[in-house]
Amino acid sequence: MNLIQTYQEPELVLLLQQRSQSAFGYLYDHYAGALHTVVVSIVGEDELANDVLQEVFVKIWRQIGSYDSTKGRLYTWMLNIARNAAIDMVRSRQFQNGKQNRELNEDVYGAAGSTEKKVEHIGLRKLVQGLKPEWRNLVELSYFEGYTQDEISKMMDIPLGTVKTRIRSGLQALRQLLQYD
Amino acid sequence: MDIQSYILSGAIESYVLGLSDAAEIAELDRLRLDYPQIEAAILAFEKSIEKDALISGVKPLPEMKQVLMTRLKLEFADIDPAIALLNPSGPKVQTPVIPINQLQNNNNRFKYLSVAAMIILVASAGLNLYFYQQFQHANNRYSALLIQKNSLEANMNGVQTKMLDLYQSMQMMGDPAMVKVMLPGIKGKEQNMATVYWDSRSKDVYLLPNKLPQIQSNKQYQLWAMVDGKPVDAGMISDCTGLCKLKNIPRAEAFAITLETMGGSPTPNMEQLLVLGKVG
Repeated sequence: MNLIQTYQEPELVLLLQQRSQSAFGYLYDHYAGALHTVVVSIVGEDELANDVLQEVFVKIWRQIGSYDSTKGRLYTWMLNIARNAAIDMVRSRQFQNGKQNRELNEDVYGAAGSTEKKVEHIGLRKLVQGLKPEWRNLVELSYFEGYTQDEISKMMDIPLGTVKTRIRSGLQALRQLLQYD
Repeated sequence: MDIQSYILSGAIESYVLGLSDAAEIAELDRLRLDYPQIEAAILAFEKSIEKDALISGVKPLPEMKQVLMTRLKLEFADIDPAIALLNPSGPKVQTPVIPINQLQNNNNRFKYLSVAAMIILVASAGLNLYFYQQFQHANNRYSALLIQKNSLEANMNGVQTKMLDLYQSMQMMGDPAMVKVMLPGIKGKEQNMATVYWDSRSKDVYLLPNKLPQIQSNKQYQLWAMVDGKPVDAGMISDCTGLCKLKNIPRAEAFAITLETMGGSPTPNMEQLLVLGKVG
């Protein structure tokens, strides 16, 4: 009997804000897989992914008071926390690896895509593989690697407006793929 | 503004996935309030990525949860609000997650139980009243029986005493040492009669009022002993069973009874002489 499925989101959020351990346990059981996949799709299949996921849940727990349901669903909010935490981890790892000196105008295509143990077979990243290459690379750079559109414009020597349009087109296509997934 | 083409522009997906800049976020924060279609499109996209993530998500190592829960142990509420809902003053217990729906079911169940308890309470109160009335009734009857029994017992004691007196009187009458003195009615009052039994040893005088008329409550018969021609008080005759024990008279030549006022007189009222009999 899966009683766990019956938690309604507003009640779950309220209980979390009231520091309910059982509600947090439920949140973990329900979302750990989804958020783990988000982290792995950015960090790679690495021990670090576990550390990042821990930090993600600690952040969710400590910041649940600032969650605003009018700005989006709970999962969307947690997804952004997970994505940001994972990207931060990748950034600091790259820094430690001495990659911070990488020239923005070098073959970023290869460099940016050369994340160790790159994971392309799970979650949204798997869907992104189905996009046209000109969209796919820009979506990967912005969503999975955390580059701003301005940075991408400079890295790839493409006008900012074009970067923005292509990313949006890619995301729109991603939406269609999600609906048929 | 062309809502449909805005929805199809990818701006919403960019916003949801956190790829929009501050100006774009502010714009959509405003637009979602003004255009329900935009709000609906945002929600639909959020739900579709959530659904996909929940379906395609790969669980982390199972032991991670314990590590996380241990790490946050001190930050959890002392009394879990999910459990406190069910058990407001209960002890701090660690119980599995109880979903809200179930809580509501339990609340409903509790409501039904409360109603059932109320009904039982009212019914019990009614029964108590009924039983109390029955008890009162039985108690009243018991008290009445108790009184009746005491009264019967007292009557029986009275009868026993009378019987004993009569028996003793009979014994005395049959005693050969008793001197029997018949006191017939005097002239004009011949229907009256009494008998004196005089114990020759103790000289005690006993009287059997065989036949004396009914008297008023303020009157009383008095026995007199004639000693050397003079009347001597020999005692008042009261309502007694069998023989009435009167005074001790050492010697007398005759006995008589007069009707006197209650308590007796020092000298006999000769006009009210009823019976008279000589000794021997």
